[in-house]
Amino acid sequence: MKLRLLSAILCAALTATPAFAADSITTVPGADKITTKTLPNGLKIVVWSDHDIPNVALYNWYKVGSRNEYAGITGISHFFEHMMFNGTSKRKPGEFDRVMEANGGANNAYTSSDVTVYQDWFPRTALDLIFDLEGDRMANLDFDPKVVESERGVVYSERRSSVDNSNFGALIEQIDATAFTAHPYQIPTVGWPSDIEGWKVDDLKTYYHTYYAPNNAVMFVVGDVEPQEIFTLAEKYLGKTPAQAAPRPITTKEPEQQGERRVNLVREAESPLLVFAHHSISGSDADAPATELLMAILADGDSSRLHQQLVEQQQIVLDVGQSLNLGFDPGLSYLYVTLPPGGDLAKVEKALDAELQKIATGGVTDAELNKARTQKLADFWRGMATISGKAQELGSYEVFQGDYKKLFDAPAAYQKVSTADLKRIAGKLFRRENRTVGTLVPMTK
Amino acid sequence: MNFSLRQIFLVTAFFSASSAFAASSALPAYERVVLSNGAEVLLMEKHDVPLIAVSASVRGGSLADATGQEGTASLLSQLLQKGAGKRDAKTFAETVDGAGGNFNTGSSFSALQVSAEFLSRDADLMLELTSDALERPTLDAAEFEKARTLAVQSQAAAKDGDPRGLIGDYGYAYLFKGHPYGRPSDGDETTLKKLTLANLKNYYRDQVGGDRLIIAVVGDFKSTEMKAKIEKSFGSWRKAAGTLPTVAAKPKETGRRVLLVDKPGATQTYFWLANVGVNRADSERPSQTLVNTVFGGRFTSMLNTELRIKSGLSYGANSRLERQEQAGPVTISSYTRTDATVQAVDLAIATLDRLHKDGISAEMTESAKNYVLGQFPPTLETGPQMAAKLNELALYHLNRDEVDNYSANIRSATPEQLAKAVEVYPNNADLVIVLIGDASKIREAVKKFGPITEMKISEPRFSP
Repeated sequence: MKLRLLSAILCAALTATPAFAADSITTVPGADKITTKTLPNGLKIVVWSDHDIPNVALYNWYKVGSRNEYAGITGISHFFEHMMFNGTSKRKPGEFDRVMEANGGANNAYTSSDVTVYQDWFPRTALDLIFDLEGDRMANLDFDPKVVESERGVVYSERRSSVDNSNFGALIEQIDATAFTAHPYQIPTVGWPSDIEGWKVDDLKTYYHTYYAPNNAVMFVVGDVEPQEIFTLAEKYLGKTPAQAAPRPITTKEPEQQGERRVNLVREAESPLLVFAHHSISGSDADAPATELLMAILADGDSSRLHQQLVEQQQIVLDVGQSLNLGFDPGLSYLYVTLPPGGDLAKVEKALDAELQKIATGGVTDAELNKARTQKLADFWRGMATISGKAQELGSYEVFQGDYKKLFDAPAAYQKVSTADLKRIAGKLFRRENRTVGTLVPMTK
Repeated sequence: MNFSLRQIFLVTAFFSASSAFAASSALPAYERVVLSNGAEVLLMEKHDVPLIAVSASVRGGSLADATGQEGTASLLSQLLQKGAGKRDAKTFAETVDGAGGNFNTGSSFSALQVSAEFLSRDADLMLELTSDALERPTLDAAEFEKARTLAVQSQAAAKDGDPRGLIGDYGYAYLFKGHPYGRPSDGDETTLKKLTLANLKNYYRDQVGGDRLIIAVVGDFKSTEMKAKIEKSFGSWRKAAGTLPTVAAKPKETGRRVLLVDKPGATQTYFWLANVGVNRADSERPSQTLVNTVFGGRFTSMLNTELRIKSGLSYGANSRLERQEQAGPVTISSYTRTDATVQAVDLAIATLDRLHKDGISAEMTESAKNYVLGQFPPTLETGPQMAAKLNELALYHLNRDEVDNYSANIRSATPEQLAKAVEVYPNNADLVIVLIGDASKIREAVKKFGPITEMKISEPRFSP
């Protein structure tokens, strides 16, 4: 079975246009020149020279997220992300952004359950300045009480937009809190309201020293640079920051779920919502590529099973989607649908359940598996089309799978997956007793 | 699913052309061919990844929707991929997904659009799907009913989502009331409900054809071969039977008026302050981009500094120059907790006053120039970005000079040009204001901003 499918893909590759030879459909130009170095303080740096545009993407991954939190300080990782732009002992609040933008750079950052990632995009002319700024905030962050209070308001506003005023955001928050009874994946990354109001400056200081250490970070630099100049800059600006004791490991394991859980929200709404969340796997699990393919077959694209069945044929939902959390620990796989106003939640739940039982007992076809693999191959190349895509992908594989090189094995890893794998995983995943069902019911007017 | 961003800032929306460091970022070479039926073809080879992208526009767009049939072009665009050529809707979707392709259709005021990206080994398939969708859509009755129902229901469902995605719809309808830009480009629940398949077929006959087509292809292919394929696919396509819609510029508004959209239970108020701004082909675009960068187009902009960084009132505040063929809106938008509504709107207006009073300092000008130039190259890094740019230039009758000279034009922008660009922004006396929030909590307080018209968010349209 595997060999036949493999040869089919090779045949397809032979039809590639002349610029990309048959054997290069999964060979990324320049990938063999990626260079890494780990400084004595433990900071690992990965450099990929790509001179397509005169710009650089620098992504700094810290291995800390809401997974590292507990009651009383929920949301602090995300709040901390905001504070990383708000002043050091050398630079006043606001100067980081002001100087970066004045030199042509822009930045952002995101926090998830597992990681906090800082992103800088800038012309190569700003290289020295960016390393100065990054080194400064890794070593010298300051906490001005006035700025802490102001930023608390900003984060609260973010929570109001993404959770309080978004029905989908509100429902997912409740599902996570219901599906996990022990593991900190139950914590909303933006934080519970009372904790947003309650963080203290001392909490932030403790957090900084524990997690914002060079030995808890990996830096990716992709773009119009040479490895040696990056290593020299890193040593100059980041090399003197001392390593810290390794953070307390997160050891709690979520006990196996033993029966379906349900959470229902009643809110001002036009449309009912339905989400199925099943306990799934971690990013380093050998079944990760197969699980991604399984979820894609169910809900990626207009030809996916759930779209065809629920949107096109039965016409009982407006859209379907899926999300698979592949973090440090086993997370959730979500399948979600939006119903039309007045839609029948019970009917949709029954239809969605029937589709999951069908895939769990009947598996998938060769054609479906091939389709999902090809989608992943095309997505792989879309990720390789930009310097920021490359920095994000390298980081994701390095941090969650232990080695950035696995990125380049990804197309082959998808090839190795068989229909039998998918049937086995679907049977394990889509058990009703492994499920949390979330519903949002419009308030009666 | 747990995920939070420091900022959601639509950086690329604020400027879409310039060249950071001289010649290295000028548009790469591309070829322009006009087919015998008038179709305009733009071809650019790009070999860094084995992908190929197409961006096609058919002039006309929602401006050609008949009165009372708003949403015709939008719904037609959705129907283009619900069965075309020899494929029914399901087979079409399976073909796209099976090749790992992206295939999107849509519409704007001035065009129907098809954009796609496939692995370059599937270039022929991509062209076949694109030409089938444009030239041979099935326009099946059952698929039409399904798409129309879905469009109506999706509009209702969108009212539950983040109001940031809705406020512009209310804004256009209110600012441009009585003008073509005030008609809902995607229709509203009332017009969509009345549409018939015959309406779409008439539109297709009159407003879709080879003489209206602009097609840009960028990626891993050989131009000589691609040219022949495009000629074969699109060269004999018939012309559109009707006349191209035209639109006149709307004069700037004077005075104030306020639309309050009641969203019961909302814990934040979303606000949008606007007037008529500038058009796409405006020759002063570089200096306007610089002023917008300083005022509300980046993280350290005046608006974001006041409403977020200094006061913590909001997660973000920005200004935009939305350019259409004629002048679109110039906007200030942000949001804040309900009880801070008046404070935040006052602060936004005070910041606008400061822009007019103080103008743009030399130091800020230099900073904005560096920022605009430094952030430009990633906006033209991929095939889809480049194809969309070539298409956009052609749609607005511009040429490569806009991009090639942009760097020099940004660098050379003078204080006089910037002062003129500041005048694009309205004075505080002339503002059309839209607020989405819990009316029972803010109705009285916001009366100070001007005469109020009120509507409910659940109403099936975007204008009162």
